[in-house]
Amino acid sequence: MYRYDEFDHQLVADRVAQFRGQVERRVSGEITEDAFKPLRLMNGVYLQLHAYMLRVAIPYGTLSSKQMHMLAHLARKYDRGYGHFTTRQNIQYNWPALDKIPDLLEELASVEMHAIQTSGNCIRNVTSDQYAAAIEGEVEDPRIISEIIRQWSTFHPEFTYLPRKFKIAVTGHDNDRAAIKLHDIGLVVKKNDAGDIGFEVHVGGGQGRTPFIAKKMADFVPKESLLAYLEAVMRVYNMLGRRDNSYKARIKILVHETGEAEMRRMVEEEFAKIDASKMLAVPQAEIDRISAYFAAPAFEALPAQSDAFEAAKAEDADFARWVRANVVAHKQAGYGIVNISLKPIGGVPGDATDAQMDTVAELAKVYSFDEVRVTHEQNLVLPHVQLDDMKAVYDALNAKGLATANLGLISDAIACPGLDYCNLANARSIPLAQEISERFADLDRQYDIGELKIKISGCINACGHHHVGHIGILGVDKKGTEFYQISLGGSADENASIGQITGRAFTEDTIVDAIETLVTTYTDERQTGERFIDTYNRIGMEPFKERLYAE
Amino acid sequence: MPNEYHLIVDGATSEESWVYLNDDAALSDAPSLISLSRLKTEAEALRARNASLGVVLEANGDGKTSMGEDVHELEPYLDMLSVVSIRFPIYRNGRGYSAARILREQMGFEGQIRACGEVLYDQWAMMARCGINAFELANDIPLKTFTTALGELSGAYQSAADMQVGALWARHAK
Repeated sequence: MYRYDEFDHQLVADRVAQFRGQVERRVSGEITEDAFKPLRLMNGVYLQLHAYMLRVAIPYGTLSSKQMHMLAHLARKYDRGYGHFTTRQNIQYNWPALDKIPDLLEELASVEMHAIQTSGNCIRNVTSDQYAAAIEGEVEDPRIISEIIRQWSTFHPEFTYLPRKFKIAVTGHDNDRAAIKLHDIGLVVKKNDAGDIGFEVHVGGGQGRTPFIAKKMADFVPKESLLAYLEAVMRVYNMLGRRDNSYKARIKILVHETGEAEMRRMVEEEFAKIDASKMLAVPQAEIDRISAYFAAPAFEALPAQSDAFEAAKAEDADFARWVRANVVAHKQAGYGIVNISLKPIGGVPGDATDAQMDTVAELAKVYSFDEVRVTHEQNLVLPHVQLDDMKAVYDALNAKGLATANLGLISDAIACPGLDYCNLANARSIPLAQEISERFADLDRQYDIGELKIKISGCINACGHHHVGHIGILGVDKKGTEFYQISLGGSADENASIGQITGRAFTEDTIVDAIETLVTTYTDERQTGERFIDTYNRIGMEPFKERLYAE
Repeated sequence: MPNEYHLIVDGATSEESWVYLNDDAALSDAPSLISLSRLKTEAEALRARNASLGVVLEANGDGKTSMGEDVHELEPYLDMLSVVSIRFPIYRNGRGYSAARILREQMGFEGQIRACGEVLYDQWAMMARCGINAFELANDIPLKTFTTALGELSGAYQSAADMQVGALWARHAK
């Protein structure tokens, strides 16, 4: 994985010193909270319901064991012994004291991490596929261009005070696990007939109160021109994006109001000017330097089948169940991709304790070439584990409550922090996720139901991605009472779609029964091999609605 | 707005004295900053005038998507202008950063690009990187504070309108 050079180290150190000065000016009263706000936001510090919250970037979701140990240490020293992994490949600490945050950032910098641009109206942490370099069929490791984008966008002087925040996601695979069509810019790595690498560019996706699937702006932007193309999109947006209404300020609204064709024309006009200057053509030597950090690990040549692995599955039904749900085929024979669910039955989605993080870090070091990944579905991944070692990894995870066998199943829900933490929320999200996972606790039943993505947001800002849940749940407030609205048929993958609302909302007391009714409708109606989303796409909303609102 | 600010040009306190003129105020021989609309309507007369001229690019606009004046409209008048003063109505409206870069990098403007309006500590360095070389600072802000702010970050990843070479390029400079 990428390692900082002297320049990277120096710039992050400069930023920590700069932020220390800003905090000192705030603590001494030299600047007001109002003036401090944009400064702390640019460094990932939010003022939440109860305290300051710090968001730390995990660029394109890749961590070393040393970095994961540091995240555990920070949870212990500055927080209450846990951290929260978010849908944007970040980790959030909910309880750090403001005057200690510069110290925290200094420790973070020692392992080549930062909180730069994890909030504010700037280009945020670049996100990517958690299976990068481990899954079969990838065009190129998407983290190479992600790292180049991370550097280009860091402290970008022109794009630090955009109309609104700006999120870029990259996938190197046709199966999109990075939800790229729901980002301000989504990139798909492509190879053309000449064998050159380039990018399909999607612009203007997003969730929030007006969800849009991104429009394809370009089929193939050559690798050396990508930064020029990105700068063109950003400049058009910075010049023309709305600043009169923050709900209409994202680029998705500009694309929608301007129209796809006119937007493309403006971007191409600007791109032609920028690209001609060659100022943003990254030298091949620099691409090579960064690519080298992402060279494949030294895999052993192993048989595709492991006798030890097969024997362990035959002996231990729980292990077999976990493998069935959580281990994904690796491109290298004899290896597997291990998903670590942060959705224990009745737990808080995405939370991990310091001890759990330490365990994952140790396992990564011993069994997974020192790598951990963080997913946008709030789980962790050990990307390169030998099948021979699988049982040992499982046992170690299980001992720390990290072996819930529910990846992609109904209890693997995404949920925003909700009313328990957030001052924007209308309703609680986490307790609802907990209730649903308790209702469907039986893993065999979950497995029978199959892939079902439930996504829960506590308000219209959609941090819990409810628009793209197979079943989406949105917390709404009606005269001081929490209600939950259901939508069906959303998807965040390569066939991205926005869910449709079923109808009248449900109360706290009836929402879990409503989910059960939807699941039963699906299991009654499904044909062989159909997932929930497939059945929904085939039979439509009506059968679900009928059962849901039957007297 | 005389005396509310002091002017810093190219990193030093400047003695230049400019007046912002309303559209109905008579032009004098003093260096004057006027609106874009006045520049457009009186271009011919202004070209004959023998004194320094500047224009203010306003960031606020009533258009639904276009939130201010378009820098490209300055194209025919660049040879007449010593100063383009870009208004930042509030620090978080960053539209002017793009205007500055377009002026410098695409329109080839070599005169003074000035930041006026809400021009604060934490934005100065970014502005400078975009080609802004003159800053209207509140009177209580000493030059030393300005210099400190500009030096807080020792380098840059990306090239922009200033002299810095981005690290992505500098690492391989011959």
